[in-house]
Amino acid sequence: MSSLFGFKSIRAGHAFALLAAVFVLTFGLMVTLVVLDQQRVINATSRLQEQTVPKIIRYQRLARNLEQLRQEGERLFAASTSQARQQAIFVVTLVSSHPSVLEHPESAQLARQTERFLVEVMRQSATDSRAFAASYDDWQRLAARLGLLVDDVSIQGINLAHGDLSDVSAAMRQARIKLTVALVVVGLFLVLFLVLLRAHLIHPLQRIDRALSNLGVDRPAPEFKASAMVEIHAVEEAIGELHASLQQNEEARQALEKLANKDGLTGLTNRRHFMLTADAELQRAQRYQRPITVGMADLDFFKQLNDTYGHAAGDAVLRAYAGLMLDTLRQSDMVCRYGGEEFAFIFPESTLAETEKLAERFRALCADYDIRLADGRLVRVTMSMGLADASDCPIEIALKRADEALYEAKHQGRNRVVVAQALARR
Amino acid sequence: MRFLPFVLLLFLSLPSFAHVQELRIAVGAYDERAVSPAGGGRRNALSAFNEDLAREICRRINARCRVTGISFGEMLPGIEAQKFELGFGNFLRTPEREERVAFSDPIWRSSSRLVSTPATARRFAAEQGKEVALDSLRNARIVAVPETQQYRYLQGQAGRNGLTTVAANSYVEAFALLREGMADFFLLPMLSAYVQLGREEAGQFEFFGAPVTENGLVGSVHIVLPKAEETLRYAVNKAIAALRSDGSYHRIVRRHFPFSLE
Repeated sequence: MSSLFGFKSIRAGHAFALLAAVFVLTFGLMVTLVVLDQQRVINATSRLQEQTVPKIIRYQRLARNLEQLRQEGERLFAASTSQARQQAIFVVTLVSSHPSVLEHPESAQLARQTERFLVEVMRQSATDSRAFAASYDDWQRLAARLGLLVDDVSIQGINLAHGDLSDVSAAMRQARIKLTVALVVVGLFLVLFLVLLRAHLIHPLQRIDRALSNLGVDRPAPEFKASAMVEIHAVEEAIGELHASLQQNEEARQALEKLANKDGLTGLTNRRHFMLTADAELQRAQRYQRPITVGMADLDFFKQLNDTYGHAAGDAVLRAYAGLMLDTLRQSDMVCRYGGEEFAFIFPESTLAETEKLAERFRALCADYDIRLADGRLVRVTMSMGLADASDCPIEIALKRADEALYEAKHQGRNRVVVAQALARR
Repeated sequence: MRFLPFVLLLFLSLPSFAHVQELRIAVGAYDERAVSPAGGGRRNALSAFNEDLAREICRRINARCRVTGISFGEMLPGIEAQKFELGFGNFLRTPEREERVAFSDPIWRSSSRLVSTPATARRFAAEQGKEVALDSLRNARIVAVPETQQYRYLQGQAGRNGLTTVAANSYVEAFALLREGMADFFLLPMLSAYVQLGREEAGQFEFFGAPVTENGLVGSVHIVLPKAEETLRYAVNKAIAALRSDGSYHRIVRRHFPFSLE
């Protein structure tokens, strides 16, 4: 469309209205030309009917009258009685004085000549009985001229129709050519219309349909070739925007999910999310008979810390420990704030012995870790931890065992790691 | 309410249409012996032709006809006074007549010629040349029937070239005047001349000079109607066209004349 009209882009409505207008104008022009030809045919035929045919009839009557003039002349020569001759000469006089003969100069002259000749012969015959025989040669010549005139007049009449009829046939031929051209124009416009419709509406709509059905956050935004149609272009841009907002939504959803799974204070996984993940890990480990261990930890004398330094200090300590845990633990391990100053752990692919070493290292690390409070004072908080094997029991049971081990650690004097299995064996 | 007068007019015109069913028709009779209220008596070819044509037209317009033969002079006043609905008097159409009566489409065409005795013809031919025409004829007494176009024309020419007009009540009387030497020429329509001369003995009369082509003496012949009978005129014109197109007209002509009237 842009190459056709020289516009950068064009509204589909305007484009099709323009096309339709050009079509209507062109077709209207063709129809008008055909109508004009038809008018010519109508004019020529009505002229033929109203003027030419009556004229032809007049010529035919004139020809008949002249022929009768000739016949009556013959009758005059052939007649044997004076009565018959009288009748013949009457008719000759009558026909030669008839208006139809008088209004055609050539006929009028010849008719007058014939009448005079015959009247003269008639007059001579009164005194000379051989008058008819003597003038028969002259009459033959006159009769021949009359016969020729009869033919001429007939043909003159018929020729009159020729002009009108050739006009009709010329107009009909022209009308046929114009009709053919009009049909070709209609065909061309239809083809052009279909091509434009296909190129600028149907194909873009198909592309849009494909793009919409393939639209997703995990796929790149669909790319469109620049469309000349403003409407199509707008839809394509809207698809791009839709893709962008889908991605934004996905990001927001992921952020919300993270927020929902995190503990607000420490940034660790919260208990709900921990329980879900741990349960899944546990089931996986049990299905494949892999070692897995859980742990429960508690900061020692945290209540006194809160009472001594205030809740803000307690919060700071909790945050510092959380950071330390995240730094120390392996990638596959998971820790959550279980509640208050209590933390829960899960160590996939780890036996109790391995876990115990790790936990012991962590406990030692905590015991040496100085935490600087907001007012500049340093505090050091120890922690107690209970571990339990989780490879043969549900998460709740495993955690309960770990909790019992933690209780045992507290009971034994805090700042230590107690393994539930050992506890059980003892 | 504006249309009320038209509606009333329409209703008023219906009775006049209804009485068209009975038509009084006047046919010119050139022989006074044929003039009778019953339309009986002897008829000449032209009267018979006119009567046949009248009856055929009546048949076409579904009307009953009462044909009356009257003299030519009575016809125009009779039509004007609405004593007759149709007049077949071989009337040429002239502006003066159009003021008095209405004309149908033409039924045939005619011209006029001078008729004289052979003796008179020879005398004038010797004096003024054989091809003398009416407008160059001098010192002649020309007879014509009053009310005819020929008579009107001669009156217009009276005094010029020493022409005098003699009035005759009928064509028969006019021929009698010629025979008796009371007039030199008789100016009459060709068809009437044919009809009248056909009855005379051969050699009694002959045509003189060229056919007269002066204005008003040559042209088409029409049926005359009262001016009020516009509906009838339309119906008559339609009937004439139908008669011509189906050949009935020519059959009627052939029945009475050995030549074409057109």
